[in-house]
Amino acid sequence: MAPFKTLPRRVAIGYNHLIAKEAPQARQVRVFALAAVGLALAIGPTGQGMAQTRLNAAWPANVGPLNPHLYAPNQMFAQAMVYEPLVKYQADGTIGPWLAAGWEVSDDARIYTFRLRQDVRFSNGEPFDAAAVVANFTAILAGRSRHAWLELTNQIETVAALDAHTVRLTLKRPYYPTLEELALPRPFRFVAPSQFVGGGTQAGITAPIGTGPWVLKDTQLGVRDLFTRNERYWGPRPAIGEINIKVILDPNTRAVAMETGEIDLIYGSDGPVSPDTFDRFRAMGQLTTGLSKPVETLALAINSNRGATRDLAVRKAINHAVDKDTMIATVLYGTQTRADTLLAPNVPYADIGLQPYAYAPARARRLLDEAGWTVAASGARQKNGEPLLIDLCFVGTDAVSKTIAEIVQADLKKVGIGVRLVGEEESSVYARQRDGRFGMIFNRTWGPPYDPHALISSMRAPSHADYQAQSGLPDKAEIDAKIGQVLLSVDASERRRLYRDILTRLHDGAVYLPLTFTSAMLIAKPELGAVSFSPIAGEIPFDQIRPREP
Amino acid sequence: MIERALSADGLSPLHGRRFGWTAQIAFTLVALIVAVTAAGPWIMPFDPDAVDLVQRLQPPGPVHWLGTDHLGRDILSRLIAGAGVSLGSVALAMALILAAGIAIGGAAGVLGGRFDQAIMRTTDIFLTFPTLVLALFMIGMLGTGLTNVILAIALSHWAWYARIVRGIVLSLKHREFVLASHLAGMSRLRVFTKHLLPATLSQLLVLATLDIGHIMLHVSSLSFVGLGVTPPTAEWGVMLNDARQFVWTKPLLMLWPGLALFLSVMAFNLAGDALRDRLDPRLDLGHVH
Amino acid sequence: MAGFILRRLLLLLPMLLAASLIIFLLLRLGPSDPAMDYLRLSRVPPTPQALAEAQTMLGLDRPLAVQYLDWLWKAVRLDFGISYVTQRPVLPSLLHFLPATLQLAGVALVVTLGVSVPLGMWAARHPDRLPDHLVRLIAFIGVSMPNFWLGFLLVLLFSVHLGWLPAMGRGGWSHMVMPAIAISLMSLSINARLLRASMLEVAGQRHVTYARLRGLSERTVERSHVLRNALLPIVTATGMHVGELIGGTLIVESIFSWPGVGRYAISAILNRDYPVIQCFTLLMVTIFVLCNLAVDIAYAWADPRIRLSPEVAHD
Repeated sequence: MAPFKTLPRRVAIGYNHLIAKEAPQARQVRVFALAAVGLALAIGPTGQGMAQTRLNAAWPANVGPLNPHLYAPNQMFAQAMVYEPLVKYQADGTIGPWLAAGWEVSDDARIYTFRLRQDVRFSNGEPFDAAAVVANFTAILAGRSRHAWLELTNQIETVAALDAHTVRLTLKRPYYPTLEELALPRPFRFVAPSQFVGGGTQAGITAPIGTGPWVLKDTQLGVRDLFTRNERYWGPRPAIGEINIKVILDPNTRAVAMETGEIDLIYGSDGPVSPDTFDRFRAMGQLTTGLSKPVETLALAINSNRGATRDLAVRKAINHAVDKDTMIATVLYGTQTRADTLLAPNVPYADIGLQPYAYAPARARRLLDEAGWTVAASGARQKNGEPLLIDLCFVGTDAVSKTIAEIVQADLKKVGIGVRLVGEEESSVYARQRDGRFGMIFNRTWGPPYDPHALISSMRAPSHADYQAQSGLPDKAEIDAKIGQVLLSVDASERRRLYRDILTRLHDGAVYLPLTFTSAMLIAKPELGAVSFSPIAGEIPFDQIRPREP
Repeated sequence: MIERALSADGLSPLHGRRFGWTAQIAFTLVALIVAVTAAGPWIMPFDPDAVDLVQRLQPPGPVHWLGTDHLGRDILSRLIAGAGVSLGSVALAMALILAAGIAIGGAAGVLGGRFDQAIMRTTDIFLTFPTLVLALFMIGMLGTGLTNVILAIALSHWAWYARIVRGIVLSLKHREFVLASHLAGMSRLRVFTKHLLPATLSQLLVLATLDIGHIMLHVSSLSFVGLGVTPPTAEWGVMLNDARQFVWTKPLLMLWPGLALFLSVMAFNLAGDALRDRLDPRLDLGHVH
Repeated sequence: MAGFILRRLLLLLPMLLAASLIIFLLLRLGPSDPAMDYLRLSRVPPTPQALAEAQTMLGLDRPLAVQYLDWLWKAVRLDFGISYVTQRPVLPSLLHFLPATLQLAGVALVVTLGVSVPLGMWAARHPDRLPDHLVRLIAFIGVSMPNFWLGFLLVLLFSVHLGWLPAMGRGGWSHMVMPAIAISLMSLSINARLLRASMLEVAGQRHVTYARLRGLSERTVERSHVLRNALLPIVTATGMHVGELIGGTLIVESIFSWPGVGRYAISAILNRDYPVIQCFTLLMVTIFVLCNLAVDIAYAWADPRIRLSPEVAHD
């Protein structure tokens, strides 16, 4: 009996402790919140006595093992922080030198000779030279099947080191976007060959050692990834000492973290915060907000090989039935612009004057009536007993996709098209994109420098929603053949003609419902100064950020 | 399950007296909720799924009494529609639980012996899972969606009821009237349905009412984390999840579905409490634990 | 006492074994095909050949019993396989997230006990008077309050309006206040009422009246005679609350972006990442069972009758 006597007292002490502690705690927090407004960036001396700044940003997932030659779960923006390309895609759409100081292209456009910079070292001190380049290319090509979407991997015949700092790339046939593809964030970037596992990178890497301005210092699963400045970096030294990427899955939580000062920067082209949050920050005026010029197209791929959408009239009716302007003005707060074509006119080869499918519900109804989709007593349309019901698949946790899906559902309902919303986890949605189990599915173009050639190229791969959506088109084989031709075309006017043909066929086939041209979003503390947008969608220009002097 | 612990005490302020004013309020509320659910399609001012972007995020007003959500849908209509989904799924889950509990627990109690032992050990295993964890696991196995949520909840709760039914059956099994029926040549199934089941039902009714609130919370928490209903179906947990992104700008959006859920759960808890006081004030549920 | 604990610990083994069997069988006999899900999550096109390879690799082509024993043998050595999604070993990932969850659930348990005991005592000291009514009201609100809604209300009040507490994330104590309240309110409400009832019941018993007649002070009577016995049902109920607190934590984590195991588990469930689901469930069961064991031990410690005859506690 005796020991029991102490129990209630212990519990009571615990209780008092809580009561006593809570109040001052709360006060402390308020003080902290006030302080945070003034002291946004933790700026202070480090051991070496130099100013060390840390920038806190947020991302929905950990950056992954940072294998430069693989895809998910490696995050592209982080791969681009650590690894660098031979040549760089620049803001004006041209290609400039980077790890390669210069290059020559043979007359038949099959042989590219790159002269490498001689002052570049990997972050562990090992030299970056022709041998490292060849080793990386060999590792990439060993996993060719993973990169099938990228035509260059199919076209490379040999990669050879001519001397310590010269590399020769020989193609099977002339391939005009070679330099653009070499500039991509993945896979043509370089990890120190000493980090290969099993002689390559397909089975993993030992550590992410690149040549880029940042070095991955620490990863805490589900919490954060910390990058520090690469002190061996050959290029301009970034002004910021450390980049701390916090893992914040939920966009609303990210917004709250921005508001409470826990992060300094939100950047992304894939809706890093919801449009109304962005609008709220823009209206408040205390933070720097910015929208890049439109980079990608958000569209629904419409499956021409499955269910009711096999009928061209239905696909056209869908295109006429959705009121994009109202959607953009209301739920998107004008953060995106209306898309009438799969590619924006400012994309290379895409300004071909396609006739938009205007918003005209009456026309949509007429198209459906004429095609024999009659309105039944229940108000739903049907044809030969087949109900006009289409599955629309989206990532269920993405609030903006969900909202847009619900709007499309409501708009289509008005013309008698039933839509069943299928909200699933990301991987399940990807699986549907690959095997074509969708009526309509969210799909994005890839932005510069992928569009149009890499996008078009991927349309031939069955593992892409584009291929699946187009597979019911009567001229799909012809389209694919023309894609093959355009990628290997040497003559520019011929290329223009082929692109016009391909894009017109896709437009006339109405296998997409283009929704909006999306911009990258930027929300930053004013202390960061002017933050620019990266020319490549998917990269974040941390090295360009120059915080204002406090 | 915790609600059952409550009953050991008796939360009704008028403990011992019969159907005091709180109980009357509770029954009125329950009746109101059921009536609203039943009359839903006729009393909804708007189509709960009708999107009207121009009217989005309206504050409460004369047209939309509780305002509109992020797609301009009428919140009151969605609340009413959500009541149907919530009550319907809870009723279905409860029916499944009761059916499984009565069948399995009853069989265990009546048949006894090895069968009883086997059933009891099985329930033991199920009771080693926290109910929510078991429900999550079941959804992992069956996949998401409201039907699977209902199944998962039934599968994670049946064991409790099976044990209760078995306990009641065992306590009645050796009473004279049961023994007499056996002697009169009635089959065991008939004895069960004729004598044991009615006695069990009144107690189960109380328990079920006490648990409805709990299960309602379960269904909406699972919907809230995205494992339940698919859009555009209105459900309170999903409405709360939709409202999340507006917590800073339109906090009212979050208030309504939560309040509806809270009041319904409270009404059922109060009603269950009152029922328990009335039907079986000495119902001892200690053996459940 | 040691013998009692040992006996109960040994009893755990068959329980966990049975639970693992149930988990294994339900997943295998369930409607979905792990090989198919493996391919989907690994982003490999599901050709018949790839499917066959995946089945061989995952061992799905062997008899069920062999599969189970193999899985069990690995599980005993703490190898729960590799997540289909992240391609990382499952157990280390889960254990990485577990401390945050246990921390929150633990704080919630402390809040439950720390608040419910004084509340229950207060109510019992003034039966049918204002404190009693007040506690009853709080308790009634508490048991009917959806924890995730309460979480929002707290955020609304303390973060949005007052700006006192951080709305999300894990950090110092201030980050824990709101989630812990949201998780514990239901359990503490139940506990407070339970304690009140059992205190009143005990207070009416003969030995208490006798103690009062002996002239002991009201405080001494309460502490040494009433509370001591009245706490027994609380100890029992705590075992129940642990399950509820774990469940509550899994849900509430999503509101406060608490980097715990709940978010990881829910996305695994959405993905049908079986190795993770399996390991997560077993982990939660183990924790739950261990907590109940702790409660049983506390109970036995308090009430010697139980450790002498374990059957009383058991059925």
